[in-house]
Amino acid sequence: MYWLTSEQLELLIKKLGEEYKIFGPRHDRVSGEVIFDHLTDLSELDLQAAIPYNPPRFILFPHLEEILKYRYEPETKQARIEQLNLLEPKALIGLRSCDLTGLLCLDRFFLGQEFVDEFYLAHRKKLFIISNTCLRPFPQCFCVCTDSGPAAKEGFDLDLTLAGRGYLVEAGSKKGQALIDEFKLPEAGPEASVLKKKIIDDSVSSFDRWALENKAWISRATNRLTTGFIKPEVWEYIGNQCFECGACSFVCPTCSCFNIEEANQESGETNRLRTWDSCSFEGYTKMAGDNNPRKPVEDRRNKRFFCKLSYSQSKKYLRPGCVGCGRCARVCPGDIGLPNVVTYIRREITGEAGE
Amino acid sequence: MPYYRGICNFCGTGCGHLLRVEGNRVRGVYPLSGHPLSRGRLCVRGWHIHELLQTEDRINQPLIKDQGCFRQVSLETAIDFVARKIKNISGREVAFLGSPRASNEENYLLGKFARSVIKTNNLSLSSDAGQEESARVLLEGCGWPAMTGSLAELRQADFILVVGGDLTKQNPIIASEIHYAHRAGAFLATISPRKTQMARLSQVHLRPRPGTIFYLLQGLARVLADDRKIDLDYLSRFTANSQSFIDGLKLVEIDKVVEITGIEKEQIVRLAGQLAESDSAYAFYPTGVQSLDSRTMAALFNLFLLAGKIGRRGSGLNPVTGVSNLLGSYDLGVSPVFLPGYAAVTDEQAWEKLENFWRVRLDRWPGRNVDACLSDQEAIKALFIVDHDEEIIRHVNRINQLDLVVYFGAYHNSFASLADVIFPRTSYVEGDGTYTNSERRVQLAQKKIDPPAGVRPLWEILTALARALGHNWNYHSAEDIMSEISQLVPYYSGLTYEKLTTRLGLKWPCDDLHPEGTDCLLAEDAGRRFQFIPAGWPGQSLAYDQEIQKDFPFKLVVGRSNYFWHQNSVMKRTFIPKREYNALLLLYPRGFVEISEEDARRLGLREKQLVRVVAESAEVRLAVRISRDILSGMLYIPYFIDEMIPEFLHRQVVDLEKNEEFFLPVRLEKVG
Amino acid sequence: MDKNLVPITSVPEIATIVDIRDEINEVKSFYFTFDRPEIEQAFKIRSGQFIMCTVFKAGEFAVSLPFSPENDPKHLSVRRVGKVTAGLHQLEPGDKIGVRGPFGNGFPFEEIKGKNIIYVAGGIGLIPLRSSIVHVLQHRQDFGRVILVYGAKSSKELMYKESVKEWQATENFETHFTIDRSEPGWSGEVGFVNQLTAKLDLPVEETVAFVCGPPVMFNAVIKELKLKGIKEQNIYSTLERHMKCGIGKCQHCAIGRTLVCVDGPVYTYRQIRTLGEQI
Repeated sequence: MYWLTSEQLELLIKKLGEEYKIFGPRHDRVSGEVIFDHLTDLSELDLQAAIPYNPPRFILFPHLEEILKYRYEPETKQARIEQLNLLEPKALIGLRSCDLTGLLCLDRFFLGQEFVDEFYLAHRKKLFIISNTCLRPFPQCFCVCTDSGPAAKEGFDLDLTLAGRGYLVEAGSKKGQALIDEFKLPEAGPEASVLKKKIIDDSVSSFDRWALENKAWISRATNRLTTGFIKPEVWEYIGNQCFECGACSFVCPTCSCFNIEEANQESGETNRLRTWDSCSFEGYTKMAGDNNPRKPVEDRRNKRFFCKLSYSQSKKYLRPGCVGCGRCARVCPGDIGLPNVVTYIRREITGEAGE
Repeated sequence: MPYYRGICNFCGTGCGHLLRVEGNRVRGVYPLSGHPLSRGRLCVRGWHIHELLQTEDRINQPLIKDQGCFRQVSLETAIDFVARKIKNISGREVAFLGSPRASNEENYLLGKFARSVIKTNNLSLSSDAGQEESARVLLEGCGWPAMTGSLAELRQADFILVVGGDLTKQNPIIASEIHYAHRAGAFLATISPRKTQMARLSQVHLRPRPGTIFYLLQGLARVLADDRKIDLDYLSRFTANSQSFIDGLKLVEIDKVVEITGIEKEQIVRLAGQLAESDSAYAFYPTGVQSLDSRTMAALFNLFLLAGKIGRRGSGLNPVTGVSNLLGSYDLGVSPVFLPGYAAVTDEQAWEKLENFWRVRLDRWPGRNVDACLSDQEAIKALFIVDHDEEIIRHVNRINQLDLVVYFGAYHNSFASLADVIFPRTSYVEGDGTYTNSERRVQLAQKKIDPPAGVRPLWEILTALARALGHNWNYHSAEDIMSEISQLVPYYSGLTYEKLTTRLGLKWPCDDLHPEGTDCLLAEDAGRRFQFIPAGWPGQSLAYDQEIQKDFPFKLVVGRSNYFWHQNSVMKRTFIPKREYNALLLLYPRGFVEISEEDARRLGLREKQLVRVVAESAEVRLAVRISRDILSGMLYIPYFIDEMIPEFLHRQVVDLEKNEEFFLPVRLEKVG
Repeated sequence: MDKNLVPITSVPEIATIVDIRDEINEVKSFYFTFDRPEIEQAFKIRSGQFIMCTVFKAGEFAVSLPFSPENDPKHLSVRRVGKVTAGLHQLEPGDKIGVRGPFGNGFPFEEIKGKNIIYVAGGIGLIPLRSSIVHVLQHRQDFGRVILVYGAKSSKELMYKESVKEWQATENFETHFTIDRSEPGWSGEVGFVNQLTAKLDLPVEETVAFVCGPPVMFNAVIKELKLKGIKEQNIYSTLERHMKCGIGKCQHCAIGRTLVCVDGPVYTYRQIRTLGEQI
């Protein structure tokens, strides 16, 4: 472990900026929202900011992107397909451990299954990641329940923990170590590990009683989801509150569903676009012709939570699909974010009355 | 910094969002957590607004139709063409159709152009009858033409009543606020013949027969008055005619209400009791298409006034606008009955004030709305339209006969092709403008990307046209226009771009007394007493015509759904919302009519069976969709014209567009 | 995985339509060859796999492959059902398409050697079975009894009339055809496929069945086969789902814990029954 001053950190990021496009948390001045954004002005970076409202997923898996471009002329029967170059070095600064965990889930899913997703890979190839320990939880956080925080364990190039006026830095890769060496950072003594552990312990203990209490319930809900022993009435109750907006999928650091569409341009070219999608939509499974194997909204809702929590789905991420960031609870018009769903399942198990 | 703050332009909720811009294209959207109303939520439409902007149907050049074909011309040529043509047409023979999606600045300037340059008062929006009625009712009753309560305080409410159409579909984020308030403890009741999602979320759902909500509301008022559960102090301090209203309620017989509406007396008494006992109470109803009729709105206003819930903190009557800037368009007088700031066209002083302000003589001849103008074979010779308005396409033949049709729009569509001249205008992300949402919040949306070369903002085109017609207009930005609006419209007098740039909107009235806007409209500020609106009790005439019922035993109601929103003219340019809409149609490729389980069983109808829906002057074939959402004796068709029921609705559409309280008597016949 | 079977995953390969044949109402077969000779050479499939076919300017769709892995011209048989397939139906010989794939697991071939095989198809359900039928006939000596039971609404609705004629003339291949209602000139059976299946003397031991067709027919046939004693794990079918990527990423074809594009599209009936979704 090493020590890094705020001044050195600034220089280090500036240095990274020479090679990488810099992304990090900034504030929208008027609304106060913390946005994980491409920083054209590095002074906007705020490492003390709360967890960003948007996960960094959009950097590797954009809301809408062109994955192919082609031109076909029926008269001359000429077809030309152009593969786009999506490779661009990017540095993600100040990633919270939940979001880093989410990114690793996406890695395992997009890169680690039978096939590699070439488009994701192109975005992922040249990435520099600096994670940032959460000194205290933010409202709605429950990463302690999903084993994804408050400090990063893997997947970073550099990991920062604010300790007093400086940062404790750990390298997680050769790239990261090289940067530490280049800046000749002073090594922190053995007491640094103790200090870091204390900081993390303090953070964990300041989590809401709610979050800690839920720890047991998330695993019990997982168990129930896996075995399918959840009454249809529970899903129906949840389904009734769903506004079918898709937001839970769009804000989830691990959701990977997408749609592909062709957009014909006036120029005669066609763009093949890939956009975010959500399994909560009715048209998601619809087939050409008159057949939709998955219909009622509660059924679709059920699928999503199954995907996030059940054991069998966890296999593809090597961990639960939920990283405890709490964003789904904040964006849901129907107030059925994952924590509430766990609560409803808990009520079913214990027989507690609802409101 | 690719994420730019903005305002969603779909419905009248006006949610805050961030648009992700890359290389002068909008490539994504994200909700704005700090927005005071939307608080970080968006609906399915809002989450896909960037898809809408991917379309390549852009109009990039001014076009003039020449022997049936459009040819590209310069802006100067197009302006010169319109200026020459319009000189031969008298002002009264020209009509203007504004867009409830255009900004306040654009709507104000369109109105000024129509009234002061062309000298016509034929100026309106379309499919907005409910908004006009709502403004009239509220102006008469309390003097404010819009939402009197505050959505910011809604989560502390005790009692919420939702009347009519499905807010979860029309304004999902306002519906979400209601849902949150309910979960925080508010008693939530819905009055709607159809079992909407809002009804499903409510504790109490009263399902009066189609067309009878008015009677139910009158019944509730009668119970309130009878049980003396009214605040006499409030009534004597703030209302002008409470005694005559209460006396009039004696005509309302509860037994009759029960008979007409089909709602049990105990339910009426209980709901009235809940309202009376609540400290903080709100009522919501949608305006625009799918609204209530004015009589029902008046009954709802009266009920809330009697309960002492108008002009009080923590309470209010909240009409909800369906389209982004519908309220702002009315605020700025895009209406045949209101001048900017809701001055009545019958008010001579208002005309004089306007003449002095604009320094031009105006014609006071009463204008009409575009439907009235086009229904009359002789009325007009020229029509100016802003943006897509496919719904007036049923007047295609009449429009084709006009001498001049001028279209200002961003995208090609079947309506634009009817025009003689097309002016390309910027989309809402390509220029500055303010938009006024349902809760009177005026929000500034700033320019995020550059428009294509040759595409100008509407205000710039109108300014050039006015100058070509000899008026010395001098606007250099949308901000210039807002500063003029603030001098003319009292509600907007305290609004400046400087203020709006650093705030997430300000709620009018924003003036010297309320420099930071007004959250909740208070009786003390009204400057007048509130009036109960005589709504009457039609007595016998309300009996459902026995004869009609024999031939047409079903009441057909037409409603809206998330994805069919605004007749699809917008949704069809997206991917995912369009897919969702197609998903439902794929299950029912011929379109569908919903029928109750009970009626389906009685008539021996199977799911997806083809039936004929027969009305007096038209019929349509649709597949049966058996639904638990509707009452026996009722049928329901979602509201989207082109794809589902063209001929049928084209014949019956005038009535169906009025409001959701309207129903069409029909019968069902099996096919084959 | 066989090196030759490495599929085209991201960027479609351009292919030329060399021939188009009308099969039945709304169904045409499109014969194609790849423009790049090295792809034409390397493109190898297993029976039961599918490809993602790009119809330029219209979109991409998943379609099962009806041709045998060996000595059978490459083609697709496609019913016009939506926007993209309608676009394909408008194409002419010489037009280009894009191809990604082949994807999916395919039917077992090595494992079923030596066994009796029953193919049961309804309507266009013969399309995904054709590849396996042709392949098995090409290696006829490796199998026991081989039987095809095929039905359609009418004789006009029977797919692959030319192949069917050949098959009828093939020794050691038992074929049975049926149509829903009798027609002048029809010499085959009349009635539903499941009724015909019930009547036939079919082997049970050391036997596998491949069933494909519309849901109602599918369920009825399964019932008959089970009655005869054929085990659920020996009955195979292929599932169709909405797909966007073909490589297990977009998740549109997810059913419970399985993805049709990589775990399927071929499943045993025992697997299908536990998926928890309708066919």
